[in-house]
Parts: sequence; C-alpha cells; structure tokens
Amino acid sequence: MQEYSSQAAYDRGEAVCVIGAGAAGLIAVKNLRENGFEVDCYERDTVLGGLWNPENQHSPLYPNTHLVTSRSQTEIPDFPMPDDWPDYPSSVQMLDYLKRYAAHFGLAEHIWYGSEISHIEPVEGSRFEVVVKPAAGSAARRLRYGAVIIATGHHWAPNLPSYPGQDLFGGTVLHSSRLGDGSRLRGKKVLVVGSGNSGVDIACEAAVNAASCVHSVRRGYWHLPKYLGGEPSDYALARLRRRPRWLRGLLVDRLLKGPRALADRMGITPPDHGHADEEPVRNGRYLEHVGDGAIDRRPEIARFEGGEVFFTDGTATRPDVVVFATGYRPQIACCPPKLLGIEGEDPYPRLHARMFSPHVETLAVAGLVEPGVGTLPIMHWQTHAIAHWLHIRKGDPERAVNFRQQVVAESAQYAVESTGVSSRHRLAVDAEEYLAGLGRIIDTLEQEPAQ
Amino acid sequence: MSLQAWVRRTRTPEPAPVEREVIVIEPMDLLDAEISDDPEASPVLCCTGESAGASAFNALWLKRIAGSGRHAAAVSVRGQGNTPAAPGGPDACAHDVVQAATGLPRQAVLVGHGRGAAWAALAAARYPAAALVLVAPRQMPKQPPKPVGAPRVLLAVGEADAQSKATQAVAGAYGVAPLTFAGDAAGVFTGPGAEGLLDAILSWLGNRD
Repeated sequence: MQEYSSQAAYDRGEAVCVIGAGAAGLIAVKNLRENGFEVDCYERDTVLGGLWNPENQHSPLYPNTHLVTSRSQTEIPDFPMPDDWPDYPSSVQMLDYLKRYAAHFGLAEHIWYGSEISHIEPVEGSRFEVVVKPAAGSAARRLRYGAVIIATGHHWAPNLPSYPGQDLFGGTVLHSSRLGDGSRLRGKKVLVVGSGNSGVDIACEAAVNAASCVHSVRRGYWHLPKYLGGEPSDYALARLRRRPRWLRGLLVDRLLKGPRALADRMGITPPDHGHADEEPVRNGRYLEHVGDGAIDRRPEIARFEGGEVFFTDGTATRPDVVVFATGYRPQIACCPPKLLGIEGEDPYPRLHARMFSPHVETLAVAGLVEPGVGTLPIMHWQTHAIAHWLHIRKGDPERAVNFRQQVVAESAQYAVESTGVSSRHRLAVDAEEYLAGLGRIIDTLEQEPAQ
Repeated sequence: MSLQAWVRRTRTPEPAPVEREVIVIEPMDLLDAEISDDPEASPVLCCTGESAGASAFNALWLKRIAGSGRHAAAVSVRGQGNTPAAPGGPDACAHDVVQAATGLPRQAVLVGHGRGAAWAALAAARYPAAALVLVAPRQMPKQPPKPVGAPRVLLAVGEADAQSKATQAVAGAYGVAPLTFAGDAAGVFTGPGAEGLLDAILSWLGNRD
C-alpha cells in the first residue's frame, strides 16, 4: 500500500460501502438506505444487474437462461414481481425486474460505475479504508467508511477441471460462462461436462441446436421437473413444510415418486443425499431429451487423447466443442482472506451465519450462499439483518459490544454446516434451517428496545 | 413485514392475477404551465372501499394531487370499477394495491379510504410505502401489521368519528393523533370538506423532514 500513503483518505463518516451492483448489492443499498445510512455502491462494470445483465462483460449467462425457482419463491419480499409474469421468468425479465427495483427506490444515484475496489483494510474504530482502483490516467482514490458490505456474488471465477491430455485437445474447450448466445453450438458435435443446473440446461440447448450432444456426468443429482402436481415444484415442496414432520415425509415421497422413477429409468444413479441438501437440478425437458436419444449420457471423463475424449467406462467420443458447466469458485479478491475466515488453501469463507466477518464487526458479505431456493429473498433478509445490526451499532456503540456477542452466539448456533456433497457445493445450506436462523437473528435485533 | 409472515405467504397460494384498472394523472397531463413535475416528490396511489374504485378519485383527488407536482394514481382492486371480480379477501385486495404500487415509477405514498384503508395498511406491511395515509378507515385489522420501512402515518377521520373507539384503536396502533376533517366519510370525494381534507393531506405530505 506504499504508493497510496502520501494521499489522505477522504472520510465518508458513517456511510457504508457496498461492493457490487448486482442483485445482492442493489438489495443491500435499498435496505441500508431504508435504515438511514448514506451508501456508496461500487460496481466494476458499467451497468447494474450483475450476472443478470448480458451487457456486463463478465456476465455468465448462457443461452436461454431462465430462473430455476418460481416467481413467488424468488421475488424480493417487499417488491413482488408483476403477477402476470410467467411462473419461471427469463433472464431478460429478471434484469428488467432489477432495473425497476433500482429505479423505484432511487438506487442508481448511489452507484459508482466502472469502479473496482482493489483493496479494503480495517482501520481504527472498526472502520474501513477502501481503495478504488484507478481508472486509466487518474490516481487511485482512498475513502473511509463506517462499514463494508461485500456483494460481489460467486458466479465470476470459473471452476475449470483439468484432465490428462486436455491441453493437447484440438477442438474448442470453454466454460459455460463464455458460451454467449449459443451460436457456437449450432451444428457442432458437443460434449457438455457437469450435471448441475447449467450443465443440464446447456445439454438441452445442445440437444435441440447442435449436431449431437454427449453429456458427461460424474455423480447423481436430484432431477426435479419444474412442475409437481400442477404447481411450480419449489412451491409445491415448500408448501408441504407446513405439515407435521411425519406426514411431510410421506407427502414428499408421493410427490417425488414419478420424477424418481423416471430418473431411474434414464439410468441416473440415485443421489446419496436428501432432495433439499443441495441445489437439485430443475429441468423438465432434460430427461425427455435423454429418453428420445438427443442427449447421450456418459460417466466422468478419464482423459483427452488427440481429438478424442475417453470416459471412465472406456467409451470415447470425438467432439468439436467441449463445454465445462462445472460451476464457479468463490473469489473475493479485494478483502484480506483472514477477515473472511479463509485459512490455508481452502477458498471458502467461514462467516458467522454465512454473512458476518468473524473478525471485524463492520464487515459483512451478502449472497454467498446456495440455499436451493430463490436467492433474492435470502439476500433481502440477510441485508435486512445487516442493516439493522449496523443501525443499532451506530445508535449505541457501547451497548452494541454486548449485543454483538449475543448476535455472534446466535450466529454460531445457527452456523448451518454445509450439506453439500461435492466441493463445488460448499455454499449449500438448508433453506428452512437457514431462514429460521436468520429469523432468530432479526428478531433479536428488532426486540432490542429503541432507547 | 416479518420474515415469518413472508414465509407463510410464500407457502399459501397467490391470489389469482387480474387485469387491474389503474388511473394515472401526471402533472404534465394538466397542461398547466404553472405546475411542474417535482421529481423528488413521491407518487401517490389511492384506493377506496367503494365499488366505483379508482374512478371515485377522478373528479377531484387525482387532479389536485397532480397539481401539487406529484404523479397521481388510483387503483381499482378486484371487483371494483373496471377490474374484473376474482376470489380473495382483504389479503388479495392488498396484493392488488402492492402490485399497483410496484408498477409506479418510484416509491409511492399509499392513500386508503374506508375499507381501502385496511387494504393500504396490509399493503404497507409488504411494500415499503413512502408514507401511509388512512382516510376514515373501516374494518381495519384488529392488530394492524407493522408497516415496513417505518413510513410516516397519517390518520384522517370525519368529525363524527373523532372520538370513536375504532379511531382510537387505529391511532393507538400507529402511535399517531388523528386529524379531523369537516363532514363524514361519505363526503371525502365531493362533499364540502373534501378540498380542505385534500389540502391538509398534501400539506402533511409536503412537510418532509
């Protein structure tokens, strides 16, 4: 930090710095403003909407991306989507929705575009010094904030596997995030790797548009259609949560019997975890494409050899394009890893209640979970809790010390262990338990007398 | 809105969508050079319990609100005015009010009259209204839900109701003192006290802290 030391930081007082103007960032700004905070939101790109905006140069959208959770389970709790929208809105509608949210609550005036945060550093008084990466030709800016909320998401750093011989492969190899509009698949022989939601969606896209589609899957997933019993499946399953536990099990089994039998028939290994333990695959078309032979399912890749790809069962294919739909790694480059509880080689943060920094009380992360349900409500309740916490802290810093201990204890108690099975699913939490934990934290914060 | 209330709501069926009648008058529509749109002022969304729905506000209210530089809108909930009937009780009507509010360009002030006040109060628990105005409320929920985003609340009642138990209950729930206007609940749209009431509401809205 030597090069900045000659320049004094501009002090923004009790204002809060939000990093990222995607869904989580926008919701954070709105909830902070509602609690009376001044907010500066920094977005490295020139547009808002984060991963939902195809104009964002890093956008990971693939062709024809739709929500995999239904509208009523995905909309922001205090700003519902128009009720004449379809059950599963497209990414275009999702972006429109976020833009309307930003306009409705006047968020745009708090966003600084084209401003990447290169570094944040705690300074005395639990405050933060924030360094904004210089735009071409100008000096880096340093500012001081009362608190920082990191809302950069976790769909930016592609998780790319490497198989023997992959470097010498003659065809195209790309990550799902670089697929763009899908024209690269047209008329090609495509191999899709990865059986999560994006892998399955892209395999379906290739089944229709490509010359042939081979799908390499390493492990079993729960395959849910988008509708169960005439209702959006996430709603149908969530609704059963109101039933007593013993009855719920029976009803869920009955609801999932058909999809389970179909998955069996298509040779999908039954997963060894419950359907709520990690993000299930929600795609009604996939199994039908497997059934009509448009998608050829194979096991994991063993090696690349010349133009051929061999699988662990000894079979081979000769693809033109290999698409790795293998997900993302969380990457928060601007923050010292220790503050997020990152230790050693493991890139996964360990946060209190999956949002509060274990070391500094004015640092929080929004949206770094995979709850297996719509994430916008989770982000809303997270930032609602964070904003309330900062508000109470501002009102009476002394009392907040005791209070913090209470919140931390509460958080630790509800520090839901990840239920995810593969390493890519370390962010997975059980939505039911996590929301209950968030509810407890919010109740504790709100019950505190205002005086 | 509490997290628990939201969880409950996501696990019950959504009200059937209806094509809602929303009447909008913007300051520009008045074609009066003296009136200019105030971009800082929140839009105002009105609803009433009377069966005429949005059109009840057409004669006087919308024009006068727009005349103060605000985007003025009124919604007919299911079964009122030109909005088709659809099943659903007060919650479904509150849903209609929230949907109309989120369709406005900016965070809106919710104005509810009569039974519409109850719907506006329910809507304000789901949507962070810029302010909540309850005019001669009727059939309010016994324990009105806490509005989200802590909006300012104005309770306006007719002279006759000023001391009634129901008024005191609502005033107590929101911690506000009721504003009384001349005339009764039926006269708020056309009666002699209507203009005075409207001016009082607008000046209260104008008193931004």
